[in-house]
Amino acid sequence: MALIELRDVSKSYHRDQNEIVVLNGVTIAIGAGDFLALMGPSGSGKSTLLNLLAGIDRPTRGSIRVGDTDISGLSERALAAWRARHIGFIFQLYNLIPVLTAFENVELPLLLTPLSKKQRRDHVMTALGIVGLSDREKHYPRQLSGGQEQRVAIARAIVTDPTLLLADEPTGDLDAKSAAEILTLLQQLNRDYKKTIVMVTHDPHAAERASHVLHLEKGSLVDTAVHA
Amino acid sequence: MKYLTLVLKSALRSKRRTALTIISVALAVFLFASLRAVLDGFNAGAEASSSTRIVTIRSTSLIFSMPTSHAETIRAVPGVRDLTWANWFGGIYKDQQHSFANFAIEPESYLRVYPEILLTPDERQAFLADRTGCIVGDGLARTNGFRVGDKVTLKVGIPTYGTQDYDFTIRGIYRAGSGAVDNQSMMFHWKYADERSVVKGQLGWIVAQIASPEQEPQIAGTIDEKFANSPYETKTDTEKQFASSFVSMFGNLNLLLGSIAIAVVIATLFVAGNTMAMSVRERTTEIAVMRTLGFPGGTIFGLIAVEALLMSIVGGAVGVVLARVVVNPHVIPSGGFIPEVSVNDLNVAIGLALSAFIGIVAGLIPATLASRLKIVDALRRVA
Repeated sequence: MALIELRDVSKSYHRDQNEIVVLNGVTIAIGAGDFLALMGPSGSGKSTLLNLLAGIDRPTRGSIRVGDTDISGLSERALAAWRARHIGFIFQLYNLIPVLTAFENVELPLLLTPLSKKQRRDHVMTALGIVGLSDREKHYPRQLSGGQEQRVAIARAIVTDPTLLLADEPTGDLDAKSAAEILTLLQQLNRDYKKTIVMVTHDPHAAERASHVLHLEKGSLVDTAVHA
Repeated sequence: MKYLTLVLKSALRSKRRTALTIISVALAVFLFASLRAVLDGFNAGAEASSSTRIVTIRSTSLIFSMPTSHAETIRAVPGVRDLTWANWFGGIYKDQQHSFANFAIEPESYLRVYPEILLTPDERQAFLADRTGCIVGDGLARTNGFRVGDKVTLKVGIPTYGTQDYDFTIRGIYRAGSGAVDNQSMMFHWKYADERSVVKGQLGWIVAQIASPEQEPQIAGTIDEKFANSPYETKTDTEKQFASSFVSMFGNLNLLLGSIAIAVVIATLFVAGNTMAMSVRERTTEIAVMRTLGFPGGTIFGLIAVEALLMSIVGGAVGVVLARVVVNPHVIPSGGFIPEVSVNDLNVAIGLALSAFIGIVAGLIPATLASRLKIVDALRRVA
């Protein structure tokens, strides 16, 4: 059985009197341990699809199942708890809290868990170790390079050991070298830690790192590719 | 506790803005506590006054005097157990700025009718025995460094008492046994002032001791009837009413000072509310990110509300400490018109509660908005 199943998912917005359809009857199945790249031009609905998977937006129609949970039917409170447990989100602009150190940023999702201070510290140091930033725990985001900031953001995404890692253009704001390092890190998380990853990207080179690629256009699935 | 770092770091993200907010709350609480202290001071005399003492003054005004024969007439009224009198002397010590309240009293009966004026037996005896002796309150003594045996000279402030300076020897330093007596005054022998007065035998007010409070309306009525249609008509009230009328000479202080305090608090509420709203607006993305990480709306609400509360309470604490340091009888003598003005524990508690109220109200709207933030819209707005 697939880890994630989207069935006939549509999403539309109302602007003035007009209905704008962003996703139109999308049906996808993503297996556990997949590394899926979502590609498509601007406005194709790929970020909306990612937001729906993350449970930060709700479909207008259709259902989304992750594991045993149909998240489209969850209340706001239950959805927040579900996100905390199952989702690790990586943003294009890193979105670290500027007044917190790298350690504190990574610790943030753990504050929602019943872990003790020592357990939280162990988890954070493990996550920072995986992204290669153990020695930067006391640095503030402004003291880090873009690539390092994104690594901290990845550490924050994986620190709770979530079911699903979602990345929205994770290399979009990075130079080529840093982007390559981040993609290597994501591949490593997928390969070594069996993390299921869904990544939105414009970049075909980034998409090549994924095991599967889905193409969206005008809210519909147009093409599927599987990399060796 | 695990969110404390987050709250503190969020509050300190703009140190200048946080400092200004804290200062504004501190000033509001300082003003509130200080004004309350002044009001308390004004009202203390009335609150602590005896219900078995009634005061007779001229019906026209406290500033007009009456002849000594009034005292004898009042003494003969059934129900009057004892009696004393006093005059507002209005003498000037050094200059107007350093002056304090000073009264000419009939010493023996005054100390009898006002047992709240606490003197040692030796001081009492020394005062009664010396016609130019005086007693000063311990608050006044503290302020001016007076000691028993010191010489004090008062210039004449009211021409009725002649033109020559009055020399006194301090024979005792009294403590106030209740709020009915202030400890910022000086009292001396009425005879000493009377013998130099242009018009002899004049009394400012007469205080009669009665057996029970229930008799007050009847005795007061009888006294005033005795002097009706005379050149010196009187008005007799309870000591509490007398103290209140003394305060009312300054106008409706409760309304005036109360209005100022409320205006300051409301203005501060807007300042603090605006600060929190700005702070939350700046953090829209961060809040959206935290929501994405799984922080429930309630937790976000709590974090913002606690942040506002924390800033406000720190401001409140600074305000009450400031009020206690500044509103101090050593620094601001009340001139003897009212008992010592001081910010008491109740004022401190009310000041802190007020700052908490400001914090809660100021944080309410920003916290609610933050907790209801639509994640996707907030992320899209900035990205």
